[in-house]
Amino acid sequence: MDIIIAVPSATLNGGLNDQMDARFGRCHSFTIVTLKNKEIIEVKVTPNPAYEELGGAGVLASQAVHNSGATEVIVGSLGPNAINSLNSLKIKAYHVSSNNLSVKEAIDLYLDGKLEILESANVVKHHGGM
Amino acid sequence: MLITITGGKGGTGKTLCAVNIASMFKNHGYNVLLIDGDVENPNTYLLLGGQLEKKVAVPFFKPKISEEKCTKCGLCAENCTTHALLHVNDSYPIPILSLCSGCKLCYKICPDKAIEEDYKVVGWTYKTIVNDITLMLGELKPSEARSAAIVESLLEDLDKIISENSNKYDVIILDTAPGAHCDVELLIKRADLVIPVTEPTKFGKMDLMRIMELIKLLGKDTKVIVNRSTLLGFKQEFLKELEERGIEILGDIPLDNDIVASYCQGIPIMDDKSTYNREGDGYIAFKQIFENLLKWMHNTNKKVK
Repeated sequence: MDIIIAVPSATLNGGLNDQMDARFGRCHSFTIVTLKNKEIIEVKVTPNPAYEELGGAGVLASQAVHNSGATEVIVGSLGPNAINSLNSLKIKAYHVSSNNLSVKEAIDLYLDGKLEILESANVVKHHGGM
Repeated sequence: MLITITGGKGGTGKTLCAVNIASMFKNHGYNVLLIDGDVENPNTYLLLGGQLEKKVAVPFFKPKISEEKCTKCGLCAENCTTHALLHVNDSYPIPILSLCSGCKLCYKICPDKAIEEDYKVVGWTYKTIVNDITLMLGELKPSEARSAAIVESLLEDLDKIISENSNKYDVIILDTAPGAHCDVELLIKRADLVIPVTEPTKFGKMDLMRIMELIKLLGKDTKVIVNRSTLLGFKQEFLKELEERGIEILGDIPLDNDIVASYCQGIPIMDDKSTYNREGDGYIAFKQIFENLLKWMHNTNKKVK
């Protein structure tokens, strides 16, 4: 079965070689990776409509992730509104703790089973800051 | 006549001045209404020696989605400026209440009338009469953020009183929270005279300048009270600086043991039933402030009894 994962990306270009953005609501774009039998079969990029929002970024970003077809997301940090939104949309959030990973490296950690599901917010509101 | 007592900095003696000015008007036969608009720390009743009565809940709008009527069109979520409605294709919008500002836009624009008005309690108002002074007070529920909703509710009650009988009270005194934010602004907007209470410290001056800026924007008549004016001997320097900035002084209150005692006991020093020394520095200072107030009222054609 195909699994579609969204990874917050640091530039508008996104893609496997882009830096992963530790922030969820205010990343520039999401790289949308489709996996089949642990192989990457498709990579798409969708801009994050929330990255310049004053508030409610977690809600908007969650909508964008859902609309991309993804059912899972890899994150560095999630605020309370973001995790509520993702939970409401039944999107699983996997937590990566190391900084400065590429999107590809984050996917590899996921495939190796090294990421745990994030159950609750690990930063406060407006953490990604405007 | 409506007087708003404010000051910017916390702990300068706003409520102390509010209850004592209210008491002096009452002593002179004025009908006085005092409104405590510091809804995060409402404690005027303690300084007056009263108790909270007539508790009324303050409701705050929250959207309730009717799944029978909702067509999942998403118009509400698209137009919600605080993104408090989560909507994706083929699902009902989900309210994220911590983001909701209560503006009711979703309720008004839903083409299918699928958003119903629901309410949560964000705080309470109280009304009581202590020693012939009518006191209205608002209290924000701890953990709620919308303090302005409580202040607005107090002002709605005030408007109702005025519309029923505009002569019911001769003097209305509004006591604000510290700061220069929207709760404070709502109360300054109503004033004939704004009295910021400050103290001769760097903090006091800094916060006074911020509140003066707000008062100036609102175009209000202002007279400052300098409380604890004998603190460390800064008085003359501080008063001179305010004068140079063109800030009018209503009076200053020195450090005074009777004031501290009255504050602790919950009996306003200026109440005609209080037993404090009528020759004390604090007592005389408040008396002078009241005389200056009556002078201002006379000069601005306010009714003087």
